[in-house]
Amino acid sequence: MTTTTNSHTWIGKDIKRREDPDLLTGRAEYTGDVKLPGMLHAAVLRSPYAHARIVRIDTSAAKKVPGVHAVLTGREATVVLDPLPAFCAEPVVEHAIAVDKVRYAGEAVVAVAAESRYIAEDALELVQIEWEPLPPVIDVLEAMKPDAPKVHENLPSNVVYEHVFIFGDVDGDFARADHIMKRRLRWPRATAAPMEPAGAVCKYDPPSGRMEVWSTTNMLNYVGWLIAGSLKLAPHMVNFYPMYTGGSFGSKHVTSKVIAIAGALSKVTGHPVKFMEDRIDNLAANDAQAADRIYDAELAVTKEGKFLSLRLHAIDDYGAYFVFAITGNTNMMSQISGPYTIGSLENGIKAVLTNKNQQGVFRGAGSDVGNWVLERLVDATSDELGIDGIELRRRNFIQPNQFPYKMPTGNVYDSGNYPGVLDMALQHANLDYWRQEQVRARKLGRYIGIGLATCQQRSTYSATEFWFHNPGPATGLTTTAESVRIGIGPTGGITVTMFSPFWGNSPETVVSQVVGEEFGVDPTTVSVAYEGTSQGLPSAGPGGSRMTVMLSGAVQGAAAKVKEKMYKIAAHLLEASLDDMEVREGRVWVKGTDRSLSLTDIGMKAYWNKFDLPADMESGLEGSFTYDHPYTTAPSEDRKDLGVFYPIMGHAAHIPIVEVDIKTGQVKFLKYLAVHDVGTVVNPRSLQGQIRGGIAQGIGVALYEEVRYSPEGQNLTTTMNDYLVPTVAEVPHIEIYHHVTPSPFTAYGVKGGGEGGRMVAPPAVTRAVEDALKPLGVKIDELPMTPEKIVKWVTQAQAKTP
Amino acid sequence: MKPPKFRYFAPRSVEEAVALLVEHADEARVLAGGQSLVPLMNMRLAHPDMLVDINGISELAYVRPWDGGLALGAMTRDATLERDTTAAARLPLLVEAAHCVGHPAIRNRSTVGGSIAHADPAAELPAVLLALNAAFEVRSRSGSRTISAQDFFKGYLSTDLKASELLTELRVPGLPSKAGSAFVEFSRREGDYALAGVAAVITLDEDGTIADARLGLCSVGPAPVRPQAAEALLRGQHPGDEAWDAAATAVITGLDNPPSDIHGSADYRRHLASVLTKEALASAAERAERNR
Repeated sequence: MTTTTNSHTWIGKDIKRREDPDLLTGRAEYTGDVKLPGMLHAAVLRSPYAHARIVRIDTSAAKKVPGVHAVLTGREATVVLDPLPAFCAEPVVEHAIAVDKVRYAGEAVVAVAAESRYIAEDALELVQIEWEPLPPVIDVLEAMKPDAPKVHENLPSNVVYEHVFIFGDVDGDFARADHIMKRRLRWPRATAAPMEPAGAVCKYDPPSGRMEVWSTTNMLNYVGWLIAGSLKLAPHMVNFYPMYTGGSFGSKHVTSKVIAIAGALSKVTGHPVKFMEDRIDNLAANDAQAADRIYDAELAVTKEGKFLSLRLHAIDDYGAYFVFAITGNTNMMSQISGPYTIGSLENGIKAVLTNKNQQGVFRGAGSDVGNWVLERLVDATSDELGIDGIELRRRNFIQPNQFPYKMPTGNVYDSGNYPGVLDMALQHANLDYWRQEQVRARKLGRYIGIGLATCQQRSTYSATEFWFHNPGPATGLTTTAESVRIGIGPTGGITVTMFSPFWGNSPETVVSQVVGEEFGVDPTTVSVAYEGTSQGLPSAGPGGSRMTVMLSGAVQGAAAKVKEKMYKIAAHLLEASLDDMEVREGRVWVKGTDRSLSLTDIGMKAYWNKFDLPADMESGLEGSFTYDHPYTTAPSEDRKDLGVFYPIMGHAAHIPIVEVDIKTGQVKFLKYLAVHDVGTVVNPRSLQGQIRGGIAQGIGVALYEEVRYSPEGQNLTTTMNDYLVPTVAEVPHIEIYHHVTPSPFTAYGVKGGGEGGRMVAPPAVTRAVEDALKPLGVKIDELPMTPEKIVKWVTQAQAKTP
Repeated sequence: MKPPKFRYFAPRSVEEAVALLVEHADEARVLAGGQSLVPLMNMRLAHPDMLVDINGISELAYVRPWDGGLALGAMTRDATLERDTTAAARLPLLVEAAHCVGHPAIRNRSTVGGSIAHADPAAELPAVLLALNAAFEVRSRSGSRTISAQDFFKGYLSTDLKASELLTELRVPGLPSKAGSAFVEFSRREGDYALAGVAAVITLDEDGTIADARLGLCSVGPAPVRPQAAEALLRGQHPGDEAWDAAATAVITGLDNPPSDIHGSADYRRHLASVLTKEALASAAERAERNR
């Protein structure tokens, strides 16, 4: 299923995931499984109001409940807690437990630590709070009005950030255009909703000032030191352990709030404290709600259907806080012009604060929205100019010989073959058959639709995007590095240590396959370990589809260090030239001869036979390597060029075929085809898992998922009965094919593929539904396409046509 | 999401359970399959002081032939009903509806008696049993009484069952051998509460006209709905779109205050009630035609 032949032994092999046996037999230890002597359990009282002042809190009755060790209001907690870390320049302060005022329904107001979660929840029922309700700011357009009540009084307005990024001659291109496609598009507030909610166990040791943390955060070696700061502890005195994580999808990057709550209660009680969100906690207050945008979107097009320029203006409802600033909007600027040769573009961003749980990061991180908006405009162009969608895309694709391709914002696309991916999709789609089926079905009053989306899937996140927001010199940039340590023991066994935790992806499989490749050993023999912060090397952890690229590069670097020493030992023992050494099949060989040493031979010498080593060599055989981002540059001072920040660019074409029941509005999949190009494939099985899961979530936002708030600001979707994640019954069989265009910048030419499914499915499914309803004249401008909306659109369209 | 403290009793017989309910009528709740009550307790929306767990009363779990129809013990699991061959032969409508209850893991625990006693208007069985003219036997210290489904369902989560009574048996009369029946529902995802569901039973005369029609709807009002005006309209009609359209119009005209929530507005549920009424009637008539 790949287009290039594989010259590797283990890279590209469809081996079983190493992570699965522990996960599937229940042996993996999650944060919720941690039990410590004397451990207390926390529960949190949440605000019933979206916007209110806390006049008085009476916790005396709660404190008297037998088994309760501490009851902490936000104001009381400030003794042990500073505000939470925020990655924004704006003065938007957030406390783990609200101080004096609540800004969304579900915000923590009081935390209890007790001998069981039952007792903790009993105590919460006895807390008395006197509230002064304030007018809630729920509708984003209302929130922007100058006289709207303010979510944060210290800010001049609820519009917390406003900027128009302009790249190239947008006005000129729009003036030159023959046609301008205009749409107002609405992307809904979704949320990551992982199977395991966030949580932490904190154990504070007062005499030493040390704290141990078992938590769901997957950026522990990246931002652990910031969370330590919130807990008023010296960062090197806090050890974060890597834990198995039951899914994140972006929601567990930081999870500082649960750590702060458990940590504060541990400091106050002197006991270890566990705080695990329950489902309601998670859906109401996890800070992982995602882009909630209204777009005014325009595409300037010539009469031949050539795209000249893109103009987007977004209003984005960020909720009550601003932890990651506008990263959801800057992220998409890495691929905002898609796979097309669009010469100029404008991206206007209005970030608005409202009384809702705040935005975090969710698979796609805003680039999912960008793809949908762009493909909506491409589909609109196809319909209005009468150019077939396939042909229109071909006319605008960046061609394979144009790479590396610098797109208007300054980001570079490393490599790609977009016509090749589309050809591969068409080769398997059997569109002639489906078009006949469509005609046949329409005669019977059935509506079949064929969707197509051809989209970018940027990978290998570089944190430079956090510096785009405001102009000025970009100092203090990070390269978002990732490290591994490889050790070969005295018997030749290889151990790899990672510094980012498991979060539902396949890091152990990836690392052992790359080690297998580098040393010529069977990956199943490689031992893989995770390390916490006390032993930590630089690691940003999973996020932005970076782990496969970064771990491959780090393993290659560490392997090179280990090999250098192995070669010196072997050359010395075999009395051969260092330049003639090579490793394959788990042995070091003198090239072109039958003379070799096994890894066991070398390991034993390196560990225990100092006198057999070259004279100047120290004992031991290990190497650590910190792999910096393979290709990133700083943004220009005026932010007219954002620099290279997401250059490892994947691509995909999806063709879903659906049937819409216009009586009930139900959408059923008849087929779903996906072709992904994420460079060299390390493991087709784990990649396909990522693609399938991503498509499931893409189908979610297209048809089912939306966080809903009442006009008073109550979150109406705090159970899995109401926040509708598609289940196995709703997700169709997905046919996947891999197209391979290696990256010139990464180890083995690997690209990241963790988010592509979710970034491409929404526009493809939208188009499929729109195509099904085309005979009725329905145009789709918003998601999710619920059955009720579909019935409404059909009814409205039928009313228009006599 | 942990329940508040409660006292727990696990009687082994109906007599023992009834005695507990009589003694603690004000504070006790009966725990059957727990698929509704336990989540409500975990979310602290229900605070019973005491639970009378009837899962250990094995005499309450059965499916038996009864007077041409079926008698179901209140503790019969939906999963049992769904697979019961006697039920499938005598009242396939019940089996079809039981299959629509939640997910397999829910049906393994949920009980027919629990569904009736809880009387969630979104539940399938109350609507179906209403259409089937079922009656429910309840036991109390003074003996037993039988309540027709028509009289049993009073309103939203409200029934004729008293706190000191225990629902023990569901009696479902048989249908004429030539009757056809169907249950259809629409939900956002498979296994979710239906936004509307319709049970239909059609019996045809020798000449092919409709001798009798019965309907039961869930999720379109505060209680399960038996639209008798629509049923009356259908009697004597020829099966077909014209009759179904008229019946569907009568059904939605008669709907009183359908629920409205984020998954479906009242208007959409009315629309679905109409679409599904037609679908259920057509399917029931087709089956009746086959049985003729």
